[in-house]
Amino acid sequence: MAIAVHPDVEVDVMTTNEAGPPERPRRRRGRGVGDRSPLGLSWGLVLPAIVIVAVVSIFPIVYAINLSLHETTYMEVGDFVGLEHFLRIFTSPDGLAEIGRSLVYVVGSLVITVPLSLALASLLNQQVRFRRVFRVLILMPWVVSQTVAALLWKWLVNPDYGPLGLGDLPTGRLDFLANPVLAMVLLIVVNVWISYPLATILCLASLQTIPEELREAAEVDGAGPFRRFMKVTLPLMKPTLFVVAIQLTLLYFNMVTLVYTLTGGGPLDGTNLLSLSAYKQSFEFFNLGLGAAYSVVLFAFNILFGAAYIRLLRSDRND
Amino acid sequence: MTELVAGPLPAPGRSKVRRRRRRRTNPLIYVALVAASLFAILPILWGVSTSFKSESATLSDQGWIPQVFTLENYRLVLFESKIPLYLGNTLLVAGLTVIATIVIAIFGAYAAARFRFRGKTASLFLILMTSMIPGIAILVPLYFLAVQLGLYDTYAVMVVVYTAWQIPTVIWMLKGFFESIPDSIEEAGRVDGASHWKVMTRLIFPLAVPGVAAAAVISFIYVWNDFLIASTMISSDDKRLVAVGLYNYLSQYGIVWGQLCAAVVVSIIPIVIVFVLMERRIVAGLSAGATKG
Repeated sequence: MAIAVHPDVEVDVMTTNEAGPPERPRRRRGRGVGDRSPLGLSWGLVLPAIVIVAVVSIFPIVYAINLSLHETTYMEVGDFVGLEHFLRIFTSPDGLAEIGRSLVYVVGSLVITVPLSLALASLLNQQVRFRRVFRVLILMPWVVSQTVAALLWKWLVNPDYGPLGLGDLPTGRLDFLANPVLAMVLLIVVNVWISYPLATILCLASLQTIPEELREAAEVDGAGPFRRFMKVTLPLMKPTLFVVAIQLTLLYFNMVTLVYTLTGGGPLDGTNLLSLSAYKQSFEFFNLGLGAAYSVVLFAFNILFGAAYIRLLRSDRND
Repeated sequence: MTELVAGPLPAPGRSKVRRRRRRRTNPLIYVALVAASLFAILPILWGVSTSFKSESATLSDQGWIPQVFTLENYRLVLFESKIPLYLGNTLLVAGLTVIATIVIAIFGAYAAARFRFRGKTASLFLILMTSMIPGIAILVPLYFLAVQLGLYDTYAVMVVVYTAWQIPTVIWMLKGFFESIPDSIEEAGRVDGASHWKVMTRLIFPLAVPGVAAAAVISFIYVWNDFLIASTMISSDDKRLVAVGLYNYLSQYGIVWGQLCAAVVVSIIPIVIVFVLMERRIVAGLSAGATKG
């Protein structure tokens, strides 16, 4: 029964937009207005947005590609060096290690954040007392900046003066920032802490579009809570989960501030990610050419991830 | 009451009542909610607790509730540090960014939602695609550009960059909002002889105020929290934004945790208040802006 309704609802999840009027009549009438659309006014309205994104986003990415192919000494752009900078990233042990660490960081954060957000969204979707209070508290880290998150967590896990008593555990002193592996663990935990609220908000919005009747129907058919979740809720939320996964992947992969302020890439380069190198090469060591090459590599990875997810999403919907 | 749950179910109306009752009595849900809330606010609470301890107590008193309360840290932060200056700078830059973003995006979003014109799909695609370009990837070129245009170390460069970065998301959010306003309002206005411009600014924009408010708050918080642009485009201390100022607090004075925590609390209080007051709108805006992007 639930399965029969499934395709319709899925389309709905993708296009629902607050409490809009029924899709079809609106669209037809929209076309009517459109026929009399003033071309000059339309372009006049859109143009300022195009100009500013072209100047601030599109021109610089072209500039970055050009810069990455040249020798630089501070602000001086020198000879054309071809792919030398890129070779340095992809063939040196350091460069490859940075790519590896970035992948560990992205995957490690994703496998915690996505299920956690789904679980929290389900909890917040229940009819409970003090629902609004819980919602505000649980979503609170959303307002905390990466810098502040880094400062607060650094202080919280301080082995000597922190409240968790990490300095004298039965297993010995636990100092997250002194060990490369533990530093990566802490980085992932803090990253989960600042990023799960947005993911939870998106999951919650999607959960609320699933009609209660569907779950009730499944209940009538004798499905327990777990089966109901797996067979009704999860399939309907798949498109949203894809979107959440894309957004989080890009966010994590490009993240600089949290890493820079929490660990600075250390200890022993244990948390030196690709994105952090792009920042440090450019603005700490002033190797702008190499920094630009790192930026272009990041951009390429972004396109790769974006395209891969869109492909997955398409093939999934064709099934 | 829980025995009812196992029983067979008759009418759908009764089953709803039954469901609600059962959920309310499941204590495990509350345990999970409380645990999640603690995970969310524990780091913040520890910061708040520390901010009320004297500098020596931060190193000896590891309790969650300070043994001796002091406001000394707040006095130092508010009256003898540069944090109020940084907060003022951030307020200025974030405010100007919000105004510029909304003014530019509201027109673009309206045209995208209501008009059909040649090149519309391409130009919208162009704008939205730029939200896929990571900030870190274009930081170096922006730095070059800012230096060459003489905009380096000015408020203006920050406002321009933040505005450009916020426009795609805000256009998307507002477009969705305009699409939820029925066309019949415009048609009525047009029949009465009003121009497109008048219909848009007098009839539709006032209806869009809730959507605009959510978008404005989201953009504001983005700027309030940004570190990247603020740290690379500004060199003079007098123009610093608060996120960078807080980070420098660490290195500048050695680690003075009590003061640092007081500064953190002062810097997050404004947005926490806005968040608590507007939580519902912000959540709606975020989900409208993101799920469609």
